[in-house]
Amino acid sequence: MFNLLLRPINVQSLFTVLGIVAVIAVIFAILIVLVSKLCFVKEDERAKAVSEHLAGANCGGCGYAGCADFAKALAEGKASINDCGATANEEKEQIAKVLGIPFSASAQSFAVVRCAGGSNAKDKYDYVGNKGCDFQNAFQGGRKVCPEGCLGDGTCALVCTNDGIKINNGVAKTDKSLCSACGACVKKCPKNLIELIPVTAKVYVACSTKCRGKDVMGACTVGCIGCGLCAKNCPENAITMENNLPKIDYEKCSGCLTCVAKCPRKTIKEI
Amino acid sequence: MEYLMIIVSAIFINNFVVVQFLGICPFLGVSKDFKSALGMGLAVTFVMTLTCLITYPLYTFILVPLGLEYLEIIVFIFVIASLVQMIEMALKKFSPTLYNAMGIYLPLITTNCAVLGVAELVIDSAQIASLINIAESSMNMGYAVLYGIFAGLGFTLSIVLMSGMREKIARLKIAKCLKGFPIAMIAACFIAMAFYVFALI
Repeated sequence: MFNLLLRPINVQSLFTVLGIVAVIAVIFAILIVLVSKLCFVKEDERAKAVSEHLAGANCGGCGYAGCADFAKALAEGKASINDCGATANEEKEQIAKVLGIPFSASAQSFAVVRCAGGSNAKDKYDYVGNKGCDFQNAFQGGRKVCPEGCLGDGTCALVCTNDGIKINNGVAKTDKSLCSACGACVKKCPKNLIELIPVTAKVYVACSTKCRGKDVMGACTVGCIGCGLCAKNCPENAITMENNLPKIDYEKCSGCLTCVAKCPRKTIKEI
Repeated sequence: MEYLMIIVSAIFINNFVVVQFLGICPFLGVSKDFKSALGMGLAVTFVMTLTCLITYPLYTFILVPLGLEYLEIIVFIFVIASLVQMIEMALKKFSPTLYNAMGIYLPLITTNCAVLGVAELVIDSAQIASLINIAESSMNMGYAVLYGIFAGLGFTLSIVLMSGMREKIARLKIAKCLKGFPIAMIAACFIAMAFYVFALI
């Protein structure tokens, strides 16, 4: 081994080697530079800036393959900031600044439970089984006479990470200030009673029943009977009746609260 | 006849993955679904072909006459790394869809030993001549490039086979301790054993 180290170095061959390697390296370096000049693609700097402000959860909730992809779509104007539920509002404002687009919290949403039944709605039996709406729902669709009544076992409150849902008088109620609009409760409710509505909304319909007015009268004191008074009296024509239930167009709603005053069953509630 | 021999040899008898155990990293890493496996396979095929096209003359006409055969690895690494770099930039420009589809796999080819393996193999004319049953002296660049193409296709074949198997396995009920990589290893073992039959040809 030491013999190898101590043997005389053939300086000339050393230079040949260095020369050959250097020439090959330089040739490839020039080629790479040429190709990179030739194939220069202008990358959107903004996409990078945007992705720094995104939550980085890569949850895929926006429908894109990860946050980087979403950032790219944002920069190209294909996506809306509000498609992301995980990013905080302050960060979203930063993103809006980077992209030069207006951002208002108005397009944000929060969850409401579209049922005010609870002790106002009649039970068809006493439920004594496992606590949990899914269990109760599996047995004859739950204890309420109304097939769209809140079962009040608080499965939605369990999945809420912000502790924003409370059960009062046997019906779930959301807290607007705590809701992050993640949609976990919306998916979890076996009766599909929870809905996301814009934070600017002033009123919401606290009933989801598909029953006829007569059946509702017998089952619940606060259920919608589909009389249509709200739709008739709305000055903005923001309310339409669909399947015996009022549907509020929040883009048109001015928050005059006429519907709240006109509703004979107090089903439409002010937020 | 020689061409048929090259094809059968490169794809089946001396398959880079399951017989020579080169390029195992992408074989296990990128074989979770069929589409990305096929993309990876074709990317490797492309790079292998170009590598053979450049390294064979580089070695035969520059390094051998100068007596610098020992520089082969350094030079080949140069060639492969810069080739992948250039292909990446070209793809980004001319086919963004393909670029997005290949994603992270393309830069990974830089360090794929199967590519360096094929470059080393085609310059070793004695070995390759014995593999494809030709006289050592009749080895030429055409054979080298052909071998590169079909070695890449052999890689594609095995990675696609593997992805097919893993897609099926993902739907099976298997013991918890075997889920994921362990069962993939076992599947790879069976594929390798199946390929060993070709060694008898």
